[in-house]
Amino acid sequence: MTSLDYLLIALRVAFAAFVPLCFIAVCVWMERRGAGFFQDRSGPNRAAIFGFRAAGLVQNLADAAKLIFKEDVISGHIKHKFIFVLAPVIVFFAALVSFAVVPFADTLVLGGRSYIMQGVPVDLGILWFLALAGFAVYGIILAGWSSTNKYGILGGLRSAAQVISYEIPMALAVIGVLIVYGTVNLNEMAQFQGQLLFGFIPMWGAVLQPLGMVIFIVAAFAETNRTPFDLAEGESEIVAGFHVEYSAMKFAVFFMGEYVALFVSSAIIVTLFFGGYQVPFLATATLIDNARPVAFLLLLLLPVAMYFFAGWIRRNNVSHYPRENDPRAFEAKVYIRGLWGLVVVIELALLAILFFASPGGPAAHIFAALLQVCTFLVKVTLMLFVYVWVRWTLPRFRYDQLQKLGWQILLPLALLNIFVTSAVVVILS
Amino acid sequence: MFAEWLFTAFALLSILGAIGLILFRHPMHGAMSLVVTMVSLAGLYALLSARLIFVLQLIVYAGAIMSLILFIIMFLNIQTRDLPEEKGRILYLLGGIVLLVPVASFLIKVVKSLPATEATIVGSGFGGVKEVGLVLFQDWLLPFEIVSLLLLVALIGAVVLAGKRRFVK
Repeated sequence: MTSLDYLLIALRVAFAAFVPLCFIAVCVWMERRGAGFFQDRSGPNRAAIFGFRAAGLVQNLADAAKLIFKEDVISGHIKHKFIFVLAPVIVFFAALVSFAVVPFADTLVLGGRSYIMQGVPVDLGILWFLALAGFAVYGIILAGWSSTNKYGILGGLRSAAQVISYEIPMALAVIGVLIVYGTVNLNEMAQFQGQLLFGFIPMWGAVLQPLGMVIFIVAAFAETNRTPFDLAEGESEIVAGFHVEYSAMKFAVFFMGEYVALFVSSAIIVTLFFGGYQVPFLATATLIDNARPVAFLLLLLLPVAMYFFAGWIRRNNVSHYPRENDPRAFEAKVYIRGLWGLVVVIELALLAILFFASPGGPAAHIFAALLQVCTFLVKVTLMLFVYVWVRWTLPRFRYDQLQKLGWQILLPLALLNIFVTSAVVVILS
Repeated sequence: MFAEWLFTAFALLSILGAIGLILFRHPMHGAMSLVVTMVSLAGLYALLSARLIFVLQLIVYAGAIMSLILFIIMFLNIQTRDLPEEKGRILYLLGGIVLLVPVASFLIKVVKSLPATEATIVGSGFGGVKEVGLVLFQDWLLPFEIVSLLLLVALIGAVVLAGKRRFVK
């Protein structure tokens, strides 16, 4: 064990632990501004620190301060206090730990040693995710039950029945994927998706398993209790469902757990069906061999993109009525300067790679890994946007419709998918 | 050394969970301590490098079966007052312990008399998904199919029994 080994272990564990937590803020922000966008309004954008609103991100800080300083009530009628407190913790940690097996870059080779880029180096992959998805339901059942509240119990029952039902089509959709990739390891799956179909289409799961992808995504929506499957909360019917008795930080832990679960299931969807960390058309080996042309291309494209982005900020971050010395125009100017500073730093790093990186050397490997991390995060963010998009577009299902969809449509389709996929795989091999 | 500590911890937890299952009066607490036992058994499997069995234990026993049990307990809303009163609970417990003492001491004696053997660590491929799958579908294909047939019969039987009530009406 050299110091490099320790550094990389610390880095990968820190990434697996802190990136989902940071994405809570991104998800909440995207949810609110997305809701505003779909409903033709602005969304929260007034909370500010010295006039800097960060496009509404400061609202999250205000919310956090509110939740931390709220009174933490446990009503007197709750008898099983230990279980009542345990429930949100289970939900949160089950979601967080399931990210541990998702690779966020290809295996990094430095000085002849390879480092796996995922939180915990186990090769169980998708099985680990399925196991922990089953654990999250404990938290919901226990929360609903220990609340000793009709709405709580109804929410817990609905949620448990829904998660148990949708686990079956989800697992069956995964089987189709496993037949195609021939592995349960998520890193090997992502490596497989770096190939090209007919020489020009990325061999993503979405191309090879379109039906499996639709089934998996629908089941993943149900597993995370998101609209159109949010009957567990169903504000108009059962107030808030299983977390109706929770206040302050205990509620916040549920809330954060939901968004971590959202992040993790987006990451799993991206890894299974959208090529994981792979840059489209540039598999890891190609990327390492062509580090310099890619760096050169980025060097040219980044300032152009930044120029247009700066223009967009300048046009949109203004007051909607004439003001003297518009503070928002000043705000926009500061943002644009900060972003240009960031771009300059990245450009310098790219220049260094352009001049000093030998093809296949350690710098090229690190460059490829960083590029893959960025690709992974961009893909996950896009998938998170799909979650927000669906939530604010579709109405909630009725309970019988939900069970009918799960058992009578998704389950037969998933079985059909398995048979067709295995037939095709047998014929082609 | 670290593995031994983990083994001790998991073994203790699994025994404590089992004791809790028997001693807790409330069914929900009993079910939760059974979950602890299931999870620590999974940990023991992982220490024995049986990775597939580890994750199957988590998915099937700790995940699916136990959440169904919790679901039923919640659904029927069983409280302590719904349970039959158990008189002489302590007496039964003491009697059981007295009966078990000779058996336990015999077992300890047998374990102590085992000849000391060198443990070798199995290869890195042992217990993985692929290895277990190959063994299962090559060497043990017939027993595997028979067991799945048995499970299928039980499944269909359950569906038929559950659906029967509708035809009677």
